[in-house]
Amino acid sequence: MLQLERIKEANRDILRLIGEVDASNSVLLDQSMQEILQQGATFLLIDGSQLAYISSAGLGVFMSYLDDFSEQGIRFAIFGLNEQVTEVFKILGLDRLIKIAPDKSTAITLGNES
Amino acid sequence: MIKNRSLPLGRISLLLAILVWLALVLVDLVRIFGMINNLDSGVSEEVTWILEILFFIFVYLVYRRIFWKNKQSDFLTLIWRGVSTGLFAAAAGLLTELIYLVLGESKIGTDPFLRNVFYHINFALTSAFLIFITLLWKHLILYQKNKQVVNQWQVFELSMLGALFFVFFNHNNFDYSFLFGLTILLIISILLAVNLKWIPYLNFKEKWKTLLFLFLIMGCAGVLFYRVLDSGNEGDLQINLTDNLFLMALFGFVFAYGLFSFLVTLFNLPTSSVFEQKLTEAINFQKLSQSIQPEESEEQVLDILLDSCISASFSDAAWIELNPKEQFKVKNPLRFLDESTQAELNSLIPQEHQTWVHGNTAELPQPQTIRLTHPIYKSALLLPLVVNKSILARIVLIKEVKEGFNKEMISIIGTFARQACISVENHRLLNQAIENERYQEELKIAQRVQKALLPLHLDHPDSFDICAYSNTADEVGGDYYDTYQVDENHFVLIMGDVSGKGTSAAFHMAQMKGVFQSLIQLGIHPAEFMIKANAALSKCLERNHFITASIFEIDTTTHTFCHARAGHIPTLWYKATEKTAEFISVEGLGLGIVRNPTYKNHVQEKTFDYSPGDILVLLTDGILEGRKETGEQFGYDRIKKIVEEHHQKSPIHLQQEIIDSLHQFVGGDGMIDDDYSLLVVKFK
Repeated sequence: MLQLERIKEANRDILRLIGEVDASNSVLLDQSMQEILQQGATFLLIDGSQLAYISSAGLGVFMSYLDDFSEQGIRFAIFGLNEQVTEVFKILGLDRLIKIAPDKSTAITLGNES
Repeated sequence: MIKNRSLPLGRISLLLAILVWLALVLVDLVRIFGMINNLDSGVSEEVTWILEILFFIFVYLVYRRIFWKNKQSDFLTLIWRGVSTGLFAAAAGLLTELIYLVLGESKIGTDPFLRNVFYHINFALTSAFLIFITLLWKHLILYQKNKQVVNQWQVFELSMLGALFFVFFNHNNFDYSFLFGLTILLIISILLAVNLKWIPYLNFKEKWKTLLFLFLIMGCAGVLFYRVLDSGNEGDLQINLTDNLFLMALFGFVFAYGLFSFLVTLFNLPTSSVFEQKLTEAINFQKLSQSIQPEESEEQVLDILLDSCISASFSDAAWIELNPKEQFKVKNPLRFLDESTQAELNSLIPQEHQTWVHGNTAELPQPQTIRLTHPIYKSALLLPLVVNKSILARIVLIKEVKEGFNKEMISIIGTFARQACISVENHRLLNQAIENERYQEELKIAQRVQKALLPLHLDHPDSFDICAYSNTADEVGGDYYDTYQVDENHFVLIMGDVSGKGTSAAFHMAQMKGVFQSLIQLGIHPAEFMIKANAALSKCLERNHFITASIFEIDTTTHTFCHARAGHIPTLWYKATEKTAEFISVEGLGLGIVRNPTYKNHVQEKTFDYSPGDILVLLTDGILEGRKETGEQFGYDRIKKIVEEHHQKSPIHLQQEIIDSLHQFVGGDGMIDDDYSLLVVKFK
């Protein structure tokens, strides 16, 4: 089960993931990301504080946008991930490519650095 | 066998009936002889009565047998038999009259013995006719049995049995007791005569025939009755067989039921077409529901539907229009119409109804009646056929009268349409099921092919043991492992995991195998391998797919292994000297994530020394992420503990231990929703 919530905040778009991202619903995540980018977002934050699990298919979604982010200069960060999910990002090596922060304010600071 | 041995009851009864009748004739002749010559013949009238009763019983048995054999025959055949028996009996009676008319007052004409023989013949035929008709009536009365009717009939039969023996009580006198008995039997007959449920099942033509037959039966009964009364009045016959309560009651019953049937059939004639119509509708309905068979096409269903609708609504013309999106065509979409008239009528249908075929399907459309302004055709009924929430087609029924469709017609047509739609829907579902079956077969083939991609034999020297296991969540999966022997002392092991699962993962897994088998022959080392593999896979992986891998190059001379990791689950290394296990930490990014030369910055290789007894356990995330019902994951620590605890076991047993523990942990209601694989190496 995955629930997606979009929050618009100043110049930032926040996408909150609630539940689990797996092969069956990663398409939903992809659609939401695409929508947000099409609407011209410049700063996208992923709120993962209520994300219980993410499978490789879910990671694939984030990965597929990395080039778009750097090409279009979109700031992107993930925050609030629990230990287990953070570990998944780290093992794959995605923590080197994506800014992962413990909380929202750190994420904003990190995002603004680039 | 049993059938052959059983006695031919019908024939025996017939024979006995004839014998009894002959005996009766003989006895009565003797009695008459005695009476005429005033001699005591020594034969009392009771003998006559007993023989008469026996005769009735045997005739009854003969006919009962005949009815039992012909119980499947239709009403008309049976009634016709009754008619023919009656005609024969009546003809015999009239012939006798004629003979006596010709003979006049001659000597033979007044001979009491000859007269008696004729009397007996007529008596036998009359009895046979009455008994046959009674059984025929029984068959008709009990056509739609219920307990009440069966009970009524049994009462009647018992009363008739009583009437049979009444002669002993009453001595053939026409007195009050006789009238009383007759009245009771007549009342029962009339009560029974209301059971006429067979009549509605006759069609119009059959009803006319039935009327004729019933008329003939009653005519014959009338003639025979008249003759019985007539002969009873003739004083010169000292023996009277026919002034018998049983026989009289039979006459009464035959007349009563015959008359009721005649009248009810007559009054049913005007409404019989309605009943026939309902029956046709029921049959059409059955046809529609039976046309679910896979070999019948949707076109046939629609064909039957169109015909059924026309006949149910008495339409003068009709056509069926398919949704242009549908794949098939109906050969004869027009009924009683030519194309130009159809186009003309179609243009008369208001615009808002024209959108039906292509229309919005949020609301299921209902049948609509429309008034037409056409010189011939005055009203129309539009019937949409909805399958799976989209309009399959519509039927347009046309009549020459204004407001020609009543509520009953619309409702029955609606029912037909729904049934037809269900048939079409079932037909489609069935086809889909067959299609799915085919895909399942294809997947099985894919599964077999993929299994063959994983090596059966794992290359290894005597200096270490190795085993591997892989299981997929779906038919095919994205886990991969392989080995390669570089030379006598160098062995390469790889384990990979494609992101996602199922068919797409399986294709990428096959690509990974190709990449490994080609690159490893170049003699490159782990980090170099990852960089080249990343470059190769970047060209063929979908944008949101990646592969993680762990590679080990084992040198058995130096007792070292060189290791690189590309985003894969860290490998567990049990060190025999320290008696502990740990996950080897080497940095490395998954393959296909960074698709440019900068990938080389994201991968490293490290070389480690190993000692005898050391164990390497390569895994995929499917094992770690095996989850209990509560959501708890199997995790790193459990595997570590198992390996530490069972380090002395051979690789195959250790592997089995891990798999068993995983299944035990997950339990019946938990899940392993991913492919999972294991590769265990134990150094000697």
